[in-house]
Amino acid sequence: MKNSLIIAAREFLERFRSRSFNVMLVLGPLLILAFIYGYIQSKNQGVLSMRVLVADPTGLMDNRIKPIGKEGLSYAFRQEYIDIDRFKQGKEFQQYDALVEINEAIFSNKTVKVRYRQTPNVDLKVRMKFEIERRVEECLVSDTLGPQYVAVYSSIKQPLNFHFNDINDLYNKAEQDVSWLGYSLGYVMIVFLIVFGTNIARSITREKANRISEVLLASVKPFELMMGKILGVLWSSLFQLFCWIVLVGLGLWIFQEVLLEDYFNGYLKGVQMSPEEWRQLGMGGYAQVNEGISLFYNQLNYGFLIPNFILFFLSTYWVYASFFTIIGALSGDDADGQQFILPIWLLFGLSIYAGYNATLYPDSAWTSFFAIFPWTSGMVSMVKVTMGVSLSSYLLMLISWSVSMIVGAMMLVLAGRVYKNGILSYSHKLTLSLLFKWLKR
Amino acid sequence: MIELVDIQKSFQNKLALDGVSFTIPKGKVFGLIGPNGAGKTTLIRILNQILSPSSGSVMVQGMPLTASHVRSFGYLPEERGLYREMTVKNHLIFLAKLRGLPGKEAQANVIHWLKKFGISDWENKRIDALSKGMAQKIQFIAAVVHGPEVIILDEPLSGFDPLNIQLILDEIKTFVQQDKTVVFSTHNMQSVDELCDEVALIHQGKLLANDKVADLRSKHRNGDYKIRFRGNAVAFANALWTGFEIIETKELSENYREAVIRKRGDQSFNDVFTFLSGSLSLELIEEQIPSMQDVFVKLIAAHHHEE
Repeated sequence: MKNSLIIAAREFLERFRSRSFNVMLVLGPLLILAFIYGYIQSKNQGVLSMRVLVADPTGLMDNRIKPIGKEGLSYAFRQEYIDIDRFKQGKEFQQYDALVEINEAIFSNKTVKVRYRQTPNVDLKVRMKFEIERRVEECLVSDTLGPQYVAVYSSIKQPLNFHFNDINDLYNKAEQDVSWLGYSLGYVMIVFLIVFGTNIARSITREKANRISEVLLASVKPFELMMGKILGVLWSSLFQLFCWIVLVGLGLWIFQEVLLEDYFNGYLKGVQMSPEEWRQLGMGGYAQVNEGISLFYNQLNYGFLIPNFILFFLSTYWVYASFFTIIGALSGDDADGQQFILPIWLLFGLSIYAGYNATLYPDSAWTSFFAIFPWTSGMVSMVKVTMGVSLSSYLLMLISWSVSMIVGAMMLVLAGRVYKNGILSYSHKLTLSLLFKWLKR
Repeated sequence: MIELVDIQKSFQNKLALDGVSFTIPKGKVFGLIGPNGAGKTTLIRILNQILSPSSGSVMVQGMPLTASHVRSFGYLPEERGLYREMTVKNHLIFLAKLRGLPGKEAQANVIHWLKKFGISDWENKRIDALSKGMAQKIQFIAAVVHGPEVIILDEPLSGFDPLNIQLILDEIKTFVQQDKTVVFSTHNMQSVDELCDEVALIHQGKLLANDKVADLRSKHRNGDYKIRFRGNAVAFANALWTGFEIIETKELSENYREAVIRKRGDQSFNDVFTFLSGSLSLELIEEQIPSMQDVFVKLIAAHHHEE
């Protein structure tokens, strides 16, 4: 084991000192941050003006919600309950761009649903939230409880949750975004596995090509050499992952404090309020209504997500590393390696498909199968973990993790056989029969 | 002392070594010779536990060969490589650590050897920046940096320039003075003559000969003598009478000749002198002991003839 660690340290340092590794150490997080920034900015798109119909069966809010600016928002009121289909198709409602329903239940469920025909721009969303939230507490509390309770209510109130939904798509889009984010994380995992797995195979091929293998094998057993290589590449991948996590975290913090500061502390133009008053009103600024910010800053549980990402990365790496080792040991030259890498690419393709499938059909039978299948379970687990899992589902995922580790260990034993036989074979013709011979010995 | 007992090794259906047995004495240079493909490298890999024998055993001081024995060996393989992107020093320290040296000792040994070979200035240079000669020195240092008791050198002189060859030969002599054992596989018979105390000749996986170099050369004497004399060629031929056959003669200058003769029957060195001294002015009589090159060729040819 000591020799494996010495070899692993050399492998790690070789990568650490390579220019491409260091470039990717910085470029990777920058690309991720650029993607996040672009995603957040893309969520600012939308129409700049809206006529909002307030369905207020109790008549409490009648004409009491006023737009604070001259342009953009205007409100109309109806003292009736309006069904969403009626609003969608009713001739008399076609002039309105959005429907907001307000009734006494607001006090208990703290939820305001805004159904729109076209996505409002983030500025409109913030204004709508501000204008409705401020008036609701004044009017509803004053009319139902009495004006003397307005101040008390203000001090203890909790902010209302505004749900903005397209009238044609009432599913919770934010949840879908979370699952796609899980898919993206799984994708990043696969990219890491491809990059570092290829590193293992190339490193073995290179050692065979420059004939250093025999020098090493005089000091270490083939299995120790193989394990050293796998461990060294794992260390460098984990180090890069760690750096990416830290740099992306730092980037998100810089976004919050500098680049996207307005989203987090933004106040509406023309509204004279101190930050304290703004907070008391329950306004988190643009951050609350920009789905991108909401996704990255509010919905994701990084404390759960990151350890699980590393956990499932480990098991998936473990399973794939043995494959790459076999390919490196089998190869007589580089061209051989390229041919034999095809089956691994197919497995990666399957993994990506499994993640896609899990995003669309998280509870399907296929997803359950892919969650257990060692070569796809990492990807599926990432999607599931990001979407949120129950304790029982999580325990099942841990079982599939264990299965992957066991399968990975078995694969390593086979890889060890091929490695032992193949490491001193140069420029041979690679055939399946040779592979089976090496596997048997 | 390392003892190889009835070593057999086959690859798929091909027998690479067929019942090879011999003993490598301690503190000597042991030559492992044979034509290409004879099985020398396979045998060396078995000694280093890179390959396992199909049958037979290797004993070190009467004990079966173990990984800890191998760890105390130094090995310079025929197919030797370097990590070209590493620095000279880091590369050597890495290999020394793999041989079990602690970090500080590895570093000290590396510095010692680099200094000894006059390449200290290159310790922080990348290996791909070195000349071929320097890279060869690094490869040799890598094999001996951990101070092994047994040094196994597979074709150590192949590809080396004459200066490096002399450097390696001198180091081998130093190792023997330190009572270390050197196993030396080579095609270079001149170096076998110069260095080896004992050899094993392997051909087609079989041991053809195993003896001390001096004894082997002596055993294969033809009874040839080199004679240098002043006098008439006819008188020379007459003096030999029927006891010796003239193999070749050449005139070095006027009335000054050199000849090679071969004895017939059981004549001795004294007989040569007796036959010639009366009629010629002798300047040199030297028995022609065959070189290892001659012995090698003779043994291989004899083996083929038997087959």
